[in-house]
Amino acid sequence: MNDLHHPQAAAAVEDYLAKVAAHLTGPAGARGAITDELRDGLLETLETQQAHGRSQSEATAAAIAEFGDPATIAAGFAPELGAVQARRVALALLLTGPLVGLTWIAAAAVNALPPWRHQLIGPWLALPLVGLALVVAAPALGLTVATTGRLGVRLRHRASFPPTAAAVAGLAAVVADLTLLAIISSQALTAPGPSVWAPILVAAGASLTRVILAARAARRCLAARAALT
Amino acid sequence: MRAEVLKGHLDALLLATLADGPRHGYAIKEALRVGSGGRFDLPTGTVYPALHRLERAGLIGGSWSIVNGRRRRSYQLTAAGRRALGQERSAWQDFSTAVTALLRDAPPRPAAT
Repeated sequence: MNDLHHPQAAAAVEDYLAKVAAHLTGPAGARGAITDELRDGLLETLETQQAHGRSQSEATAAAIAEFGDPATIAAGFAPELGAVQARRVALALLLTGPLVGLTWIAAAAVNALPPWRHQLIGPWLALPLVGLALVVAAPALGLTVATTGRLGVRLRHRASFPPTAAAVAGLAAVVADLTLLAIISSQALTAPGPSVWAPILVAAGASLTRVILAARAARRCLAARAALT
Repeated sequence: MRAEVLKGHLDALLLATLADGPRHGYAIKEALRVGSGGRFDLPTGTVYPALHRLERAGLIGGSWSIVNGRRRRSYQLTAAGRRALGQERSAWQDFSTAVTALLRDAPPRPAAT
């Protein structure tokens, strides 16, 4: 805060910014950058008002009035924040997807699990569900990245599309991971269980971590979508 | 003038305010107001999100600095933004020439006999 300003003016500005921030939904860094940018604008408006001979309290009230209703300002940022949130989730899923996949392929190879022998038996009958999740997630991720990048701004699409697509991809990742975890648990409990546990534990750990992160990411994308008016 | 009237032209106007060099959000808003003779006094809530959208589109670039002890984000045109501004300018020139020609006060036609 600038010490040029009276504590009361500073408090009024911070109070206003807190109200805007309460309506912002998206990554914390992006929200913080928005409030910092608005703070600078507000204080500069305030200084301009004072330069025109208004008292500190009049200038503060005028600056806040010029910025307008906190919810309206926040709503203006919602499409951008939704896009930023969706892009972040999509890139994270694109990066971690192959890694998680590789840990499972390694676990299957080392233990010569049924899919490695081209057999879908017992709990592995559920494996096509993982394939289905991939079929859903891949285009959803591609479209999210496309619509939130530079060219995406010029592509005509609803503001709700990127966070929706990213949430769908996140939920598909949750389905894939839960399916794999259920299959491997079932396999471990029924003979013949896997013999080399380390790669199985790595793969299960990777999926367990991603279930939690992907579920949270999907929830955040849905929240960003809900913030769109 | 209401923001809706400017819809469709806002991006070009924002780019134009950056033609002479970098500006921050408040200065851009003021440049629009002063440059339009006070006609385009846009709500702040319209200007900042539009700048963020233009930045994501790669037409402007933002950078932080510290001014008066607070963080300030300034924007400048990128090469793509400069090209886009050039295109917007010539498209507007064509459009306004055509509209001016059509709306010009023409001498009344002789009444049909």
